[in-house]
Amino acid sequence: MRLRQKLVLLTTLSKGLMAGVLLLALPWAIEVFALRHTEARLRGELVKVRQRIERVGVTSFLRGQEEDQRLHYDLLEDEFIDLRRGGQLHPISRDTIATLPRRQQGEMVDFRVLRASFVHDGQPYTLEIGKSMESVEDVYGLLRSFAAYALVFAVLSTLLIELGVINYLLRPVDQIVQRLRAVQGPTPPPLPALQTSTWDFRYLDDTIQQMLQKIRTVFEQEREFIANVSHELLTPISILQNRFENMLQAENLPEEAETQLVTSQKTLQRLTATLRTLLLISRIENAQFARPDRVDIRELLGEVVEELDYRLLDQHITLRQQLEGTPTMAPANRTLLFTLFYNLLSNAIKYNLPEDGRIALTGAPQADGAYILVIHNTGKPIPAEQLPHLFERFRRFDDGRVEGFGLGLAVVRSVAQFHFIRITAESDEHGTSFTLRLPPPVSLSE
Amino acid sequence: MNVLIIEDDKALARELGLYLHNERFHCDFARTGREASEKLFVNEYDFVLLDLGLPDQDGLQLLAEARKERNQQASIIILSARGTVDDRIKGLDLGADDYLAKPYSLLELVSRMQAIVRRKHGVTQDTLSFGPFVLNVSDRTLRHGEQEVPLTKKEFDLLHYLLLHRHKVLTRLQLSEHIWGSMISDSDDRDSNFIDVHVKNIRKKLAPYDPGDWIETVRGVGYRIKTGPDA
Repeated sequence: MRLRQKLVLLTTLSKGLMAGVLLLALPWAIEVFALRHTEARLRGELVKVRQRIERVGVTSFLRGQEEDQRLHYDLLEDEFIDLRRGGQLHPISRDTIATLPRRQQGEMVDFRVLRASFVHDGQPYTLEIGKSMESVEDVYGLLRSFAAYALVFAVLSTLLIELGVINYLLRPVDQIVQRLRAVQGPTPPPLPALQTSTWDFRYLDDTIQQMLQKIRTVFEQEREFIANVSHELLTPISILQNRFENMLQAENLPEEAETQLVTSQKTLQRLTATLRTLLLISRIENAQFARPDRVDIRELLGEVVEELDYRLLDQHITLRQQLEGTPTMAPANRTLLFTLFYNLLSNAIKYNLPEDGRIALTGAPQADGAYILVIHNTGKPIPAEQLPHLFERFRRFDDGRVEGFGLGLAVVRSVAQFHFIRITAESDEHGTSFTLRLPPPVSLSE
Repeated sequence: MNVLIIEDDKALARELGLYLHNERFHCDFARTGREASEKLFVNEYDFVLLDLGLPDQDGLQLLAEARKERNQQASIIILSARGTVDDRIKGLDLGADDYLAKPYSLLELVSRMQAIVRRKHGVTQDTLSFGPFVLNVSDRTLRHGEQEVPLTKKEFDLLHYLLLHRHKVLTRLQLSEHIWGSMISDSDDRDSNFIDVHVKNIRKKLAPYDPGDWIETVRGVGYRIKTGPDA
């Protein structure tokens, strides 16, 4: 899961949790709030009524009623004021507030009632002020939905803001990855410093830069080492080879000596070939080759076959070629690819049947743009336990009749890796196949 | 012909000088870039054989220098053990006439020098003959009278090389160096035994036209073109 998604998930979950808790607590909180509010109002009204009684006396309230009670409802019968003479004279209790049922046109309706007792002109009075619970609930229903909307709005808007901020903050991650991906080969040009104010990303970027620098240094050192090795080893070999050649020039050289010189020369040649091939592999792995070409594989195979034709004829090997489509490698190094196919075909000849062998080159494009190419040859099967080591240096499938240095397939592997070609080998009693998966060609202009 | 051998390794320079001396070249030696500059300034050479790995100077730089001075006409052949991929391209870009990677066969070097001489002086011999056969270098054909003997590219090159050095026994190594020398990989197939296959094929192709064995096998050493009555 991506960090961005995780952060979004985290913030969404935490907000959801908080919103859930708030929404659960809301009815209770609103109810408490609404009741308090109602109480405060009732008390306010009580104070007003008391003040009025103080000012104008009780009688004006009670006049025209049954002598000792006045019950007054407002128009919608949401509220009432009930003033009574008498009642509890002793003791003068404190104000009480409670939810009480009241009969109203034959129905019992809940009211929030504030009851207060007071003494006026030596007479005890009881005053009740009530407000219907229905109207209270109306208010707090309204409050509740308003609060819920506000909550949802707050959650959504902060979520959006956070998403934007997360995106903005994490942008350097994409930039760093893009820059790393753009690195082609071991010696990329130095990258400009990353533009970010986040310390962590700068730290990461610095570390990557240092690492790239280290890789560059190591590759440079290896390059130098390869150059030194080739110089230091090839120069003495040169001396010997030239000396042998000079010695062979001599007139009236005994036949015996001549044969020995030629044999020594051959040994030296073998050393040279081994050394050159090892250096070639190192140079490929050291990325000293460019990939400037767009190679038509059919054409290239044609050249390789032409180069090896005399050996096919000599060993009476039939070559069948069936390539569908136009296999193309790009970007590629033509010379290296030539070597790759040359070595594979040369092996296919070398390890073929002694008589009437067959080689088949078959290939077909794949749906994903890649191309599968199979080089199959008849011949003695390669033991299964040898197959995984086939491409290693100096590993040689040795059946005693073929001479080689065991580096041909190691070169094949390094060239294949250099070109992102996947290569596998299978072998059974019918023969041996090398399967190459050529990656889709990339246009050079891109 | 005057040759300047710029090579810091004494033993190598000696072997090279010896062979060239036998081939009737007059050799001069320089072991450092400075020494080479001085000699190039004073003397005129037909050939400059340049080792790129000099102790005091990059050989490629010297190459550019040599091209400017009085040795503009000299043919420059780079002999290098560095063998980096760029060296060959850079060297040829800077005006070298040829490039050989060490170790090379001295015969191949001399052959290339002779080829340069023939090219420069326009004395290309168009045809080489042995017995009843005529090898035409310009259209790359082998003829027996009016009939053309079909040869592959490699077979032609091999025969041509043997003819250029008639009287000499060429070892399989010298032949394979010439035939496959340009391949960057010394795969197992530089194995000089494959020369035998080529020679066998050439003999097979010549046989219907003439019964004589024109390519002589010198046991243990290599091959030689039999000197025909016309040689």
